[in-house]
Amino acid sequence: MIKRHLLAAAAAVALIAGGADAQNLRYSGATPALTMDPHATNDFVTTAIFRQSYDSLVGLSLDMEIQPGLATAWEYLGDATWRFTLRDDVTFHDGSVMTADDVAFSIMRQKGSRFYTALFGGITDAVVVDARTVDVITAAPDPILPRKMARLFVMNKAWAEANNVVDIPDLGAEASEAFSIRNANGTGPMRLISHDPAVETRFEAHADFWGERPGNVQTASYLPIGAAPTRVAALLSGDVDLIVDLPLQDIARLSATPGFKVDEAPQLILMQLELDGTREAALETFDKAGNPLNANPFKDVRVRLAMAHAIDAEQIVDRVMRGKARVAGIAATPGFGGYQPDLDERWPTDLDLARSLLAEAGYPDGFVTTLNCPLERYVNTEEICRATASMLARIGIDVRVNGMVWPEFARMLVNGPDSSFHLIGMGANSWDTQDTFSGYMMTRNPEANEGFFNWALYSNEIVDEVSRTLPVTFDENERTELYRRGLIAARETVSAIYLHQPMLVWGMREGVTAPIRSDATVTLENVTVN
Amino acid sequence: MTAFLAQRLGQAVIVLTVVSFLAFLLSSQIGDPVVSILGMQSTPEDRAILRARLGLDDPFLIRYLSYMGNVLRGEFGISYANQRPVADLILARLPATLELAGVALFMSLALGLPIGIYAAIYRGHWTSDAILTATVIGVSIPTFVIAILLIFAFSVTLGWLPSFGRGQVVQVGWWTTGFLTESGRRALLMPAAALAISQVALVARLVRAEMIEVLRTDYIRFARARGLRPRIINLSLALRNTLIPVITVSGIQLGFLFAFAVVAEAVFQWPGIGLLFLQALGSTDVPVIGAILLLTAAFFVAVNTVVDLLYAVVDPRLRAGEATGRPAGGH
Repeated sequence: MIKRHLLAAAAAVALIAGGADAQNLRYSGATPALTMDPHATNDFVTTAIFRQSYDSLVGLSLDMEIQPGLATAWEYLGDATWRFTLRDDVTFHDGSVMTADDVAFSIMRQKGSRFYTALFGGITDAVVVDARTVDVITAAPDPILPRKMARLFVMNKAWAEANNVVDIPDLGAEASEAFSIRNANGTGPMRLISHDPAVETRFEAHADFWGERPGNVQTASYLPIGAAPTRVAALLSGDVDLIVDLPLQDIARLSATPGFKVDEAPQLILMQLELDGTREAALETFDKAGNPLNANPFKDVRVRLAMAHAIDAEQIVDRVMRGKARVAGIAATPGFGGYQPDLDERWPTDLDLARSLLAEAGYPDGFVTTLNCPLERYVNTEEICRATASMLARIGIDVRVNGMVWPEFARMLVNGPDSSFHLIGMGANSWDTQDTFSGYMMTRNPEANEGFFNWALYSNEIVDEVSRTLPVTFDENERTELYRRGLIAARETVSAIYLHQPMLVWGMREGVTAPIRSDATVTLENVTVN
Repeated sequence: MTAFLAQRLGQAVIVLTVVSFLAFLLSSQIGDPVVSILGMQSTPEDRAILRARLGLDDPFLIRYLSYMGNVLRGEFGISYANQRPVADLILARLPATLELAGVALFMSLALGLPIGIYAAIYRGHWTSDAILTATVIGVSIPTFVIAILLIFAFSVTLGWLPSFGRGQVVQVGWWTTGFLTESGRRALLMPAAALAISQVALVARLVRAEMIEVLRTDYIRFARARGLRPRIINLSLALRNTLIPVITVSGIQLGFLFAFAVVAEAVFQWPGIGLLFLQALGSTDVPVIGAILLLTAAFFVAVNTVVDLLYAVVDPRLRAGEATGRPAGGH
């Protein structure tokens, strides 16, 4: 099967490249890429796949820093306007040259997407100044717009018009399939050959790619394999060269198998336990006799601190995550804009302190509560919840773990929120802590787009003030000061009990060199296959 | 015959109505499609607009009736997750599942029939007991465990067969088939075997029991008395009468294999209906869930009808329409 594919690929490449060696990469992950239309989904697996064909306006380095991409430079002009200067040597996969029109079109197309309101909803206009310059105007000043533009994907305007996909395909609109769902025309390193979501997404190298191509991959296939044991078996048997979701329990075995290697990088997600911040009475929370508590113990910062000191995140990382995670001490992780390494120190685990804090707060015997736990969305969530329950039991807080499948869990939060205590992964939209403040910690007011993901209704004045000031502060030193103030206030009042940042783990055969990036994208232009 | 078909059609309508209602009830319980589609980062306004657009605000009964109205017009809607028409998605996946279920059925009969015949003829002999016991082991191990064991034996250790997928397929009209390429045929072996193994015991035991009963009948004893060769008695006279219940069970089996192919499809990443169904469950893709449940129910009904019609071919007594020996719908 592999031979056949290699031969076919060899034949294809020989025709194109005139006899160069055919370097084919077959890689696999757990879920399929749903659509190739970059503006019609915000699913991160799908994004990692269509990124091969669609470049973002601002580039992303391998360590997730923004860098020149399709735009070579950007500057703030004042008056809520950013100016982006474009490269002049970029061609789309159909051979046409990228113009400022294409960029402005793409900005407005993606801005109108329901999936990107939180990220790009503030953009009011994209103005073509000249062939290489586009001005982006936002409703309010936005100092982190360039960082957000690392998620703005550029599509060919003429192609969209010719194929009737100027508007993003809308669900329930018409009973036919939009062209852009299985076809692509971007400027990325790889050209899409075919896309069958359940089976295979095939790419070939874009010969006129504007960027560097340190790797040697000429053709590549993404093959989704849902069952973890099969995915590992496919790697072991040589059916695929690289898998991007290596289950924790297989890491040791794979590293010990000759001919294979494992690589890892921290994921841009912070796992945390969120505690009800403002409700008068906490949901599903009782005294030891089983009577509903009339108060909300989580509102008392002493209870929050007691729980933070009782939960040993290091032990969770060691035992549950088998070391494949990084303990987190603040509400930001390396790779996030605004991360402060010197502040990243976790509440020490101290049961005596925890017990006395709990007693001071008026709960010397503890209480009974329910931990809502999403199953399978993140790595080993059920085990994390169980470990949390047994650690809290040591200070008298009895926790019932309520496991829920993701759709059910998401519905509980989005249509409520109806939870006083839950585990969730926090990942700011734009990978900047500014979004963490305004999205996850600010006093919740969805109508004003404030504290949108603040599912536990946490509220703190200092954090609110930082959330309001950061988006209008452009001075770097002032911004750093604000980040620090906010992060410290959040930790002192336990905005949530920060646990860890899980690792992405890839397994590959010897002979494949693939740099791992925290957004889980296999950057095919950087991959070498021997 | 016409009356029989009309009766069957009436049954089918009732079954499908009940299934569609249950499917609809189920899909309104497993999460909020709008949240699943737009993600947690969506704004309340966007969710409200999409909710209205998909008609999710209407009362349950109205939504159900409008859904059924569309289904009767042949419109199954658009998959939320794939953003493609549900009918296209299912048609694209159907051949994979049908080929898998068909080959699995063939395997289970090809193994089960000879085993059953052998065990009936050599009843009480230690070899037949041993073989029957071996088939029971096949039933006792869950399909997904068998599947994983097969992968580790034949893909990882021996490297003979592909660990996942359908191999190369050939397009014949709208149908995609894996039978025409070597990689397609090789890819079929393990998933079909994983499904078939649990069915072999069923077929073998059924054939054995039926055949033992037939061998006891008078006409077999007379045939023996006439001095006919055992080979003709066993394979020509006895087996023919054994086949009727086997056909019934095979029909039901095919339905089961079609519905439970989901296990093998999940392990082998077989791009069929089952895999589509699992994906739809995970993303609250209501139109896909509903359509697949309806399709599966329709498939069961159709298979049972065909089985009843086949009776008439095998059992001449039923051709005249007088069900004297065995009741026609008796399963």
